[in-house]
Amino acid sequence: MQERLSLYIQRDSWLHALNPLTKLSLTFAFILVGFLSPWYWTALVLVFAGILPLSFFGRVQREYFWTALRLLVPVAGFIFIMQALFLPVGTQELFRWLIFHPTRESLAQGFLTATRIFVMVSSFILFLLTTHPSEMMSDLTRRGLPGQFAYVIVSTLQIIPQMQAKAQTIIAAQRSRGLDTEGSYFKRIGALVPLVGPLVFGSLVEVEERAIAIEARGFTSTRQKTFLREIKDSPIDRTIRISLVGLVLLTLLAKLWR
Amino acid sequence: MINLQNVSYKYPLTDKQVLKDINLQVQPGEFVAVIGPNGAGKSTLCYAISGFIPHFFKGELSGSVQVAGVESRQSTLSEWVLTVGLAFQNPFNQISGAKYTVFEEIAFGLENIGVPRDEMITRVEQAMAMTGITALAQRSPFSLSGGQQQRVALTSILVMQPQVLVLDEPTSQLDPIGAREVFGVIRAMSHSGMTVILVEHKVEWIASFADRVVALHEGSILLDGRPDDVLTSPFLEARGFGLSRYTQAARAAALDGLWSPGRRLPVTLEQAVDGFSLEARRDADSH
Amino acid sequence: MQILINDLRFIYPGGVEALRGISLVIEPGEQVAIVGQNGAGKTTLARHLNGLLQPTSGRVSIGGLDTHTCTVAKLAARVGYVFQNPDEQLFCKTVGVEVAFGPKNLGCAPARIDELVNGALELTGLSDKRDANPYDLSPTWRKMVALASILSMDTPVIILDEPTTGQDAASIARIAGVIAHLRERGRTVITITHDIDFCAENFERVIALAEGQVLLDGPACDVFGQQETLARTYVDPPQLTRLGKQLGFFETVRNQAEFLAALRGIHLGDPSNQK
Repeated sequence: MQERLSLYIQRDSWLHALNPLTKLSLTFAFILVGFLSPWYWTALVLVFAGILPLSFFGRVQREYFWTALRLLVPVAGFIFIMQALFLPVGTQELFRWLIFHPTRESLAQGFLTATRIFVMVSSFILFLLTTHPSEMMSDLTRRGLPGQFAYVIVSTLQIIPQMQAKAQTIIAAQRSRGLDTEGSYFKRIGALVPLVGPLVFGSLVEVEERAIAIEARGFTSTRQKTFLREIKDSPIDRTIRISLVGLVLLTLLAKLWR
Repeated sequence: MINLQNVSYKYPLTDKQVLKDINLQVQPGEFVAVIGPNGAGKSTLCYAISGFIPHFFKGELSGSVQVAGVESRQSTLSEWVLTVGLAFQNPFNQISGAKYTVFEEIAFGLENIGVPRDEMITRVEQAMAMTGITALAQRSPFSLSGGQQQRVALTSILVMQPQVLVLDEPTSQLDPIGAREVFGVIRAMSHSGMTVILVEHKVEWIASFADRVVALHEGSILLDGRPDDVLTSPFLEARGFGLSRYTQAARAAALDGLWSPGRRLPVTLEQAVDGFSLEARRDADSH
Repeated sequence: MQILINDLRFIYPGGVEALRGISLVIEPGEQVAIVGQNGAGKTTLARHLNGLLQPTSGRVSIGGLDTHTCTVAKLAARVGYVFQNPDEQLFCKTVGVEVAFGPKNLGCAPARIDELVNGALELTGLSDKRDANPYDLSPTWRKMVALASILSMDTPVIILDEPTTGQDAASIARIAGVIAHLRERGRTVITITHDIDFCAENFERVIALAEGQVLLDGPACDVFGQQETLARTYVDPPQLTRLGKQLGFFETVRNQAEFLAALRGIHLGDPSNQK
């Protein structure tokens, strides 16, 4: 069983060494530029000239390709087809068959949306592959994010796999009481309550105890927090972040100009 | 160190008085064991001493709970936990989930209270050495066994350097090996001068460690005294307390004339061996 | 209902070989305790008995029915399994409904369900808590509810997974009462337990597992007498057994009655009772 929900891969790379906020800014920059830019081919260029090289810089190219192939290409392809075939825009019909009547415009729009989605999800994947959740949360907390918020996110990532294990045990326990989980669909839906019930109630009990445990470790203390992990923020990071902000602003201007 | 006076408590939205007029004084460095049937109020007592009553569980608390001279009602929970540490039964639920390695998990508390980084590292290393888990430092807390997780939980509390340690049945869900490891840690903590309140069912262990035993029954203190006195008291069995099997065997032997009426009943194996050996010698001498 | 286990081997999907060739016969009505350190294979073995796990090789049959040939739900009519953590089973609004869940799944008639539920509640001391919400009860009582909800299925074989964990003396006595009741009615009771004293006082046969194999299997007295072998799977003998050994008793005693009998024997001057 995976111990935590996280794509993070430990590698020694230039991208890994960047400050988490910088990487987060990079991700948002990709998305904003991709969606705001008036130039049609922006998203595609960002993928090939931005995301792909970065995946090499981060030494996570293999993992990225694997995820892109399995997840992104089908999803983007699906969006493209749906928009191309069904979007009611434009007049230059390419062909007509049954309910499908794609136009030149719908094709163009489909391509645009698909590439934008591709950039957005890719940049997130890249971010998750090269940023340790703990580090990111530490950094954000240091910059002012409420501790409770960071805790909820990080602990959820670890606790969900535990809940999966618990769900397996619950299924086993209820099957042992004669619950039929292999029968007709109707039966299987009826089987949900005995499976979800203990999971929810048991989790409530757990949550209360865990709240007591973290309270006992000063979680609600009003003192200024300190941090075990030292997360560096170098001038390069700051320069990159400022440039990214500038890039996004430029794109915004370009869009407004048009 | 700990001073409870006329403490009574009722959980919110219930009618039952869970603690009834408790009076308890504990000296610094004392090791007090608390025994009682389930439902007697042992966990509630733990929460009252560790400040979770009244700050976490609202309800009606009357009477005074003082630790190191400070009244619990007048403190905040986040300050109180610096003086009184709490660990309980379920090792899994005491893993915060916020950290990916045992080292960071233990440091979590120190981060929350703002201990400088260098001091943090030193304290974590010292605490881990004391509880014998240095080898687990880089492991994920969720990959550990129950006994290991419980020791991590204890270390996480130890590292905050409380003056009082409240432990609510820390070995109930562990296998014998895990229980032995945890008792070892608790004994070490007590030897280092900490005041310890331990709720436990395993009567033979208590007899070896505790300075004092408090028997809780239906929210009131039934007995409060030396382990050898309390754990062999005739008042316990009828009220649902579990005596050690050595005590039970000796009591039954006494009915058969195989244990002298004046001889103190044994609680531990050693005491039982001594007692029965002496009985056998007395018997042999009288023939 | 006889339980036949033939050269059972089991390898978990991750590659861990949890059971390495276990062969056992458990006759109808036997009371058996399975002991051993964590990881020895106790739970893995138990889960084969109601079909939750299927052997990688070897055979398990319950009352002549090969577990390979039927679903867990079907085997539930023969083998009831009480899980260690009641919170992984309880979900109904009241104790009564919860305890009726098992027999209902088995397709019993309403009148029969009532009968079974009443019986189970009485046996576990829950009769007055019938209309309570299980989650309003303390963890101690929740464990009783879980036990009752399997007892109500009235299966010929019952498996108890760590029944005494976290329980106090009164509940343990109640559980011992349940086991005695089952013994009277000729049911097979199999328990996995770390509580060796509970084991000694309620079970005639003890199987000690170590590293996926049977280390010891026999009457409790014989098994507990072999302290060095037991130590290999980190099992300490029961308290009175240890006391008896240290006092030099000849035979192995496992509970208070046997201890006193041996003690009486010594004091009556019978030299054969002492080494």
